[in-house]
Amino acid sequence: MSSIHLQNLVKKFGEFTALKTMDLVIEDGEFMALLGPSGCGKSTTMNMIAGIEEPTSGRILFGDRDMAGVPMGGRGVGFVFQNYAIFTHMTVRQNLAYGLRMRGLAKSEIERKVSAIAELLQLSPLLDRKADRLSVNILQRVAIGRSAIMEPAIFLLDEPLSNVDAAFRAVMRTELKHLQRQFRQTMVYVTHDQLEAMTMADRIAVMDHGVLQQVGTPLEVYNHPANVFVARFIGAPGMNLLKGRPAERDRGLVIDLGRLGATQPLPPALAASLRNHGREVLYGFRPEQTLLSAEGRGLRMPVDFVERIGARTIVHLGRDETAVKAVFENDVKLGEAVTVSPAEASVRIFDAATGTAIRAE
Amino acid sequence: MNATAIMKHRDAAVSDGENTAAGVTDAEAARLGFRLTLPAQILVLFISAFPLLMQLYISLTDWSPLSGIGWWSAWELWNNFANYTDLAADGRFWSALGRTAIVMLVCVPAEFLLGLALATLFMDEFPGKRFFYSVMLMPMMVVPAVAGYMFFMLFQSGGPVNDLLSSLTGFPVTVAWLSDPTLALVAVMIADIWQWTPLMFLILLAGLVGVPEDQIKAATLLGANAWQRFTTIVLPKMKTIIVIALAIRVIENFKIFDTLYIMTGGGPGVATETISVYIYKVTTQDLIWGYVAAIALAILVVLSVVAVLAMKRMAQGREA
Repeated sequence: MSSIHLQNLVKKFGEFTALKTMDLVIEDGEFMALLGPSGCGKSTTMNMIAGIEEPTSGRILFGDRDMAGVPMGGRGVGFVFQNYAIFTHMTVRQNLAYGLRMRGLAKSEIERKVSAIAELLQLSPLLDRKADRLSVNILQRVAIGRSAIMEPAIFLLDEPLSNVDAAFRAVMRTELKHLQRQFRQTMVYVTHDQLEAMTMADRIAVMDHGVLQQVGTPLEVYNHPANVFVARFIGAPGMNLLKGRPAERDRGLVIDLGRLGATQPLPPALAASLRNHGREVLYGFRPEQTLLSAEGRGLRMPVDFVERIGARTIVHLGRDETAVKAVFENDVKLGEAVTVSPAEASVRIFDAATGTAIRAE
Repeated sequence: MNATAIMKHRDAAVSDGENTAAGVTDAEAARLGFRLTLPAQILVLFISAFPLLMQLYISLTDWSPLSGIGWWSAWELWNNFANYTDLAADGRFWSALGRTAIVMLVCVPAEFLLGLALATLFMDEFPGKRFFYSVMLMPMMVVPAVAGYMFFMLFQSGGPVNDLLSSLTGFPVTVAWLSDPTLALVAVMIADIWQWTPLMFLILLAGLVGVPEDQIKAATLLGANAWQRFTTIVLPKMKTIIVIALAIRVIENFKIFDTLYIMTGGGPGVATETISVYIYKVTTQDLIWGYVAAIALAILVVLSVVAVLAMKRMAQGREA
C-alpha cells in the first residue's frame, strides 16, 4: 500500500498545457476519483502516475519514493485500461499469469496465485477460455485480476465503465466498489461520469482545463462546490446560478436579481461574509432543493419547458440569463408563472468575476 | 425469382428445417444455386483445370512440337511413364531442386528478418521517415530484368562491389563474382534479397501497425521488457500475417528466374541453375516438352503442399 503525492505537476504537449500545476495527495488505501469533462487533464494525470507519460515538471511520490525516472514497468502500479487491453490471443489463465511469468516466477507459484485470484474474482470456470470471446463484465474482471495478481500498491482505472451500457454500469459500479474493499489498495479512478465518482469514491478531485478545481468527499463537492465550474458540473442538473448584487433590506441581506426581484434574506452567517463584498455575485441553489408553488414569497418565473424522466420531473423556468431548473413531482403547465423558492440552507454564493465560492463565516 | 429471394428462402428453410411458405426446401434451393453458378464454375474449371489436365496428358508422352502431330494426338507417343522415371533419375533436376531449396532457405529467412527489423524500426518516428519509406519500396518496383542487369554490372570483377571492397580493405579486390560457382550463387541471392525485402517489410509493417498499442502498454505495465513484449504480444498477434508473408515469398522464390537468368544464365556451368532455369533450358534447348510437363507437374505438387499447409495454418490463426 502506498500514498501518492503529486507536487507541482505540470504536463505540456508542445504549446498545449494539458495540466497546470497540480498538487494532490491521495491517501493510502483511498479511492480517489479524478472527475472532469474530456480534455480536463485527468487521463494525463493518471498516465503520469503510471509512468506512461513523463511530467514536464513537478514530482510524483509514492509514499516517500520519488518516481522520476522509474519506468512504467517498475512502478508497481496496476492499470486497468478503458477497453481493458486484454491479450486476446491468450486464455484467461495466460492473461492472469502474464505479469508473474514476465517476472520469472516459478510455475507452481504462478499456478497457485492464478487459482487464488480466479477464485476471488469468480473466474475459475473460465480459466481456459480464449479471452477474445468474453463478455464485458468478465473482461473487466480479467483486467482487474491481471493487475491485482501483481499485488500492486496502487491501482489505476481509466474510465473502465465507459464502454458498458447504462443498465450494466450500475452492476459494475457495485462490483468495483466491492473489489476495492477486498483489495484495500490505493485506487485512482478516472471518469467523466459524476455518478461513478459520487457512488464509488472516498474523495473526488474535480478537474477542468488542466486545473484542479476542488478535492473533497462526494458530499462536500456536491454541497459546497468551491467554484462555479464545480457547482455546474456536479449534480444532474447542475446548480442554478443567477447574477445579482447583495442589497441590505429590512428583513436582512438579500441578493437583488434585477428583473427577477430580490431573493429571500440570506442565512446570517452567509450574510455576514457577504456584507462588505459590494461586487456582483452569483446566487446558487440546487434544482432538487427548490420549491415550486403557485403563490407565496419567492421569485416569480414562467415555466418554459418540462422534462419528464420517470422518477422525477425537471421544470425549466425562465430563459437565457435567468434560466433556472427545479426538480418537481407535481404537474405544471407550460407558460404558467410559478414561485421559485430555494431552500435556505441550500443557497450558495459565488463571486461573479472570479467564480469562487464565498463561504459563510 | 432473384438471388436475394432465394437466399431468404434458404435462410427460412434452414431456420425451420422444413418447407417454407413458398415451398422451397433446402435441397431445392441448393440445386438452384448450383445451376445459377454453373456457367461461372465451368469457366473457372476451364481456366484452371484444363491446362493442368493438358499438362498431365502431355507429361505421359514423348510429344514435342517437332513431333509433327497436334498435342491432342500425343497418345500416339505414349511412353509408359518414362518421363517420371527419367525425372527420378535425373541428377541435373535433383541438383537444380537442391539449389533452389538452398536459395530459398537463405533468401526467405534473410528477407523476413531484414523486413521485420526494418518494419520494427519504421514503427518509431525518426527524421526523414517518409523519404526513407519511399526509398525502401523502390527495389520492389524495379523490373526484375533491369535489376538483373544492375547486379550483373555491380558484380563485374572491375565493378562497384569490388571497388567498394577494395576501398574498405585497402587491398585491390578483383573477385570474379559471377564466374565463381559459389560466389555466383551468393551474388544471385543478394540480388533477390535486395529486391524482395521491401515486400516483406511492407507486409510486416502492416502487421505491426495492426498490433493493438494498448495491449503492448498493458504488457509494459505488467513488467514485460521489450523482448518479452515482442515475443509474447507482437509475434503471436502477427502469426497469420507472418505465415502469409512467408508463403508468398517461399512460392515466389521457388520460381526465381528473371534476375538470376540475366545475371548468370544459370552458370557458371550449372552453378546457379535453379528449377525454373532448368525447365527453361529443357524447353527452349532440348525441346522435350513431355518431359518439361512432367517436371512442372512435380513442382506444382510441391508448391501446392506448401500452399495448403500455409492456408491450414492461416485458418488456425483465424480461429485463435
